[in-house]
Amino acid sequence: MFLYILKRLGRSLITLVVIITVVFLLLQFMPVEGYFDNYEKMTEAEIQSGLVRLGLKDPLPVQVVRFFKMLLTGNLGISRRYRVNVSINEIIAPKIWVSAKFGLISMALSLPLGMALGALMARNKGGLADKLGNGFIVFIQAVPNAVYFLFIQLYGSQLLNISLLYDEAVTRSIILPIISLSLPSIAGYAMWLRRYMVDEANKDYIKLARAKGVSNSAIWFKHVFRNSVVPMVNFIPGSILLTISGSIYVESLYSIPGMGGLLVDVIRKQDNSMVLALIVIYASLSILGLLLGDILMGIVDPRISFVKKEGSR
Amino acid sequence: MEQQHDVILSVKDLNVKFSLRGKVLHAIRGISLDINRGESFAIVGESGSGKSVFVKNFIGLLDRNGWVDSGEILYNGMDLAKFKTDKDWLQIRGKEIAMVMQDPMTSLNPLKTIGAQIGEALKLHQNLVGTAAYNECVQILNDVGIPEPERRYKQYPHEFSGGMRQRVVIAIAMACNPKILICDEPTTALDVTIQAQILNLIKDLKNKYNLTTIYITHDLGVVANVADRIAVMYAGDIVEVGKCNDVFYDPQHPYTWALLSSLPQLGIKGEDLYSIEGTPPNLFNVIKGDAFAPRNPNALKVDFLHRPPYFEVSPTHKAKTWLLDERAPKVEPPPHIAALREAHKEVRQ
Amino acid sequence: MSKWSPSERKCRQHEQSVVQSSEQLLNAKDDLNTEEIQGLSNDLFQKADYDASQAERIGYSNYSYWGSTLRMFFKNKLAVAMLIIMAILVIFTFIQPYLPGQRDANAINNYPATHAKGGTPIKNRKPTWSIIWDGTQEIDFLDEEAKDALPFFERISWSVTRYFHRMSAAFKDLFDGEEDVGIFIFGTNRIGQDLWSRLWQGTRTSLFIGIMVAIVEAVVGIIMGMLWGYVRKLDFFFTELYNIVDNIPSTIILILAAYIMKPSVSTIIIAMCVTRWLGLARFVRNQVLIIRDRDFNLASRCLGTPTRRIIFKNLLPQMVSVVMLRMALAIPSAIGSEVFMTYIGIGLPIDIPSLGNLVNIGRGYITYPGLRYQLWFPAIILSIITICFYLVGNAFADASDPKNHV
Repeated sequence: MFLYILKRLGRSLITLVVIITVVFLLLQFMPVEGYFDNYEKMTEAEIQSGLVRLGLKDPLPVQVVRFFKMLLTGNLGISRRYRVNVSINEIIAPKIWVSAKFGLISMALSLPLGMALGALMARNKGGLADKLGNGFIVFIQAVPNAVYFLFIQLYGSQLLNISLLYDEAVTRSIILPIISLSLPSIAGYAMWLRRYMVDEANKDYIKLARAKGVSNSAIWFKHVFRNSVVPMVNFIPGSILLTISGSIYVESLYSIPGMGGLLVDVIRKQDNSMVLALIVIYASLSILGLLLGDILMGIVDPRISFVKKEGSR
Repeated sequence: MEQQHDVILSVKDLNVKFSLRGKVLHAIRGISLDINRGESFAIVGESGSGKSVFVKNFIGLLDRNGWVDSGEILYNGMDLAKFKTDKDWLQIRGKEIAMVMQDPMTSLNPLKTIGAQIGEALKLHQNLVGTAAYNECVQILNDVGIPEPERRYKQYPHEFSGGMRQRVVIAIAMACNPKILICDEPTTALDVTIQAQILNLIKDLKNKYNLTTIYITHDLGVVANVADRIAVMYAGDIVEVGKCNDVFYDPQHPYTWALLSSLPQLGIKGEDLYSIEGTPPNLFNVIKGDAFAPRNPNALKVDFLHRPPYFEVSPTHKAKTWLLDERAPKVEPPPHIAALREAHKEVRQ
Repeated sequence: MSKWSPSERKCRQHEQSVVQSSEQLLNAKDDLNTEEIQGLSNDLFQKADYDASQAERIGYSNYSYWGSTLRMFFKNKLAVAMLIIMAILVIFTFIQPYLPGQRDANAINNYPATHAKGGTPIKNRKPTWSIIWDGTQEIDFLDEEAKDALPFFERISWSVTRYFHRMSAAFKDLFDGEEDVGIFIFGTNRIGQDLWSRLWQGTRTSLFIGIMVAIVEAVVGIIMGMLWGYVRKLDFFFTELYNIVDNIPSTIILILAAYIMKPSVSTIIIAMCVTRWLGLARFVRNQVLIIRDRDFNLASRCLGTPTRRIIFKNLLPQMVSVVMLRMALAIPSAIGSEVFMTYIGIGLPIDIPSLGNLVNIGRGYITYPGLRYQLWFPAIILSIITICFYLVGNAFADASDPKNHV
């Protein structure tokens, strides 16, 4: 088991290194304005010398290695346009906490609700609950988030008499962002759980359990539900970690000072080093989430042996 | 010698239909059958003859798109054909009638230990929990021939081989303390070497616990091994039923002849293997007369018009064929069958 | 033919035997009672003619994959309704410019010279019908106090009559006025462009993007997938690529791609395809492996089935349904991505109208109740399109799954 974790960790690290290298190389195509905060006023000579100073005229392999060295010391670089000459770590730290707070609260809400809905729909397959739940899921997944987030903000704030934007001092103002964050997750969890449960319910061992004399509700809860939750465990660590990255939409809609809004601002401001740093963070979180998800699956599902088969991550 | 007939399960004129792709499929076409207490009964037939569908009605596991159109299934003073809700069936499932299914690889819950799965049955039917359940479980595992039961108790199905898993499935069935044990092709998915072990196991358990066993199989070898009485099923109807010896050595229905003739063992070395011409009928259509008639070279004209009733060959042996009517011409069974008959007569003398 | 000719007699004989056997068939029944059994005539107990071909014919299966798929799909009333709505919407979107009285989407409309604001652009004008409605609020012919004094049913009929009076008076009055300014079904935007034509232009753009993404994804995915499957040496490379790309959220890749390239319709299409084709390629690769390796195809090949038949009968049904599903779902997904990208500032430039652009501009007016229509219309059309494609796609997926072919 331990060996498995090590192997998997190694694999993830390699993937991460490859991704970061690729991204770094791609970002060489970024517009040069992104490195200077007063680009418009600089002469060509100043630009060139500025680039040299920043080390951007050095050969690529040198740049890549330098970047990794910097990363290994935990330094994400320095912002040039967003907040001039401020260390990126400093900028990001408070924001992570804000995003994480929202994300975790939303998860604590959406996971149980989503699973309850999914289970209800599976049990009542074809019935009213299933149809209504399905309508809900279809709406949330088909219509782009931006649209219904907007309407929630608009009509929610009127209905509940809250301000349109998030205010740290007013606790009530977290209601609408949390609802907006939770809805897509609820729909997602419900859809997957329902699918897994419906598939499990058709399997042979369920028929045997019925023949054994197990009651219908015990079948659904002890056998179908329990077995369906196992594959879902795979994407829970990933979801938790990605809450740190914050929802881009929700945060800018409600002016929440979190990571998601940061990405939008940074793109608008064309701050190259920050864009790079943020992408590194997101990629790392994502890979870590997948790694943890696989490990968790391995713990929870007794069938998974720790001898890797080809074709999987 | 006349035996005391104590009927435990009596099926009367059962008709089962399915709704499939917008049409109605008549899967079981008026079967009447009595199963005696303590006997070992086998139902043989091809794939698609309806054997599994037939027994599923005894524990209410018919697929969602099927229903009992008419008829009765009498057990213990209850008519199982009238059961509608889960609650009704919970009186029967496990407790009275238990089932062993075909594919041991998928019959067990992969995420529960086998101890838990047997324990579930013990809790439901013998009201045992905790240490008492553990002890009983180990005892049952011993009974079904699983070595080191204490260690195996905590293991998961994927840690068992196919034969072992089938033993576990049988153990679960035993834990329910049933009166009737239905075995739906219990050895089809297993190696030949394991097959004999499993069959013997079931036989031993039957004797030890006074069970009535019903076997569903298409393998005549299995039948010859274990059955007291045999019913031959074709196209949703039972065409011949009788004691094992009766059906094997003195078959009367042309389908039974054809079935027995297809056994490679009966063939002569160097000859072509015999196979029955044609395919079973489409049960979406209404079948007029004897379902086997189109494939029967010995068919009479009446076979195409009216379904034959049971003709008694002996008090324990009957067959649904017009050939047994006194007006019918004397038809000789195929040479292989005739040879069997002769051989049997010699042995008896 | 004379009554006595041999051919006539032959015919009649034949007819008689046919009638006889049909009668017999009609009278055929199962489970005769003892009497009836006794009553059966002896000639029935003669051997019948054995026809081996009959034996084969009686059993068959009427299962056809596409037949069942289409039947399941059309049984789904909701999906059929959505399909119709979708078809109407798409057709209308593309014929809209050719209908009479349509304006150019980019043209700035000015007030007519006779109007008070003559010559200036018609900015932020509400949709014509809502102006008429507002206007009607002014018209009345019975005061409120008298109305409250009326008994319930009379009050209702009074309200209804008032409504009709208002509408007709208003139409006469204001409509005349409107003809001067011009009828704007969805109003105008901030710089005076007709929102109705802009919206349909935007829908065309977004649909175009969606369809192109779907097609490019399908083509690239299938070709790459086939290569991946057939050329064993490439397998390692592709699998690693897939593992890597799978690890990154697609939004990041999208952002990256758009950040680097200058935003335009083609770059957006490329950016969206970059992430999507791998998924399809993997699926196609698995299918190719099935042709190569699976037992039932091995059996087919042993029996001499040519590869072409294997492809058509075993492979294609599964692939076509999956590809169509992915294409159907690519459209709402692409539109969603486009909205997202516009939102964070890496979408299409504003002068190319698209649903994403329109929604985002409309978003700015969310705090002005009078101008919210600029958000409503694009949002509703957007929602209808995405919901329709999504539902139809999913219904098709369900219908083409053989497990559901009951």
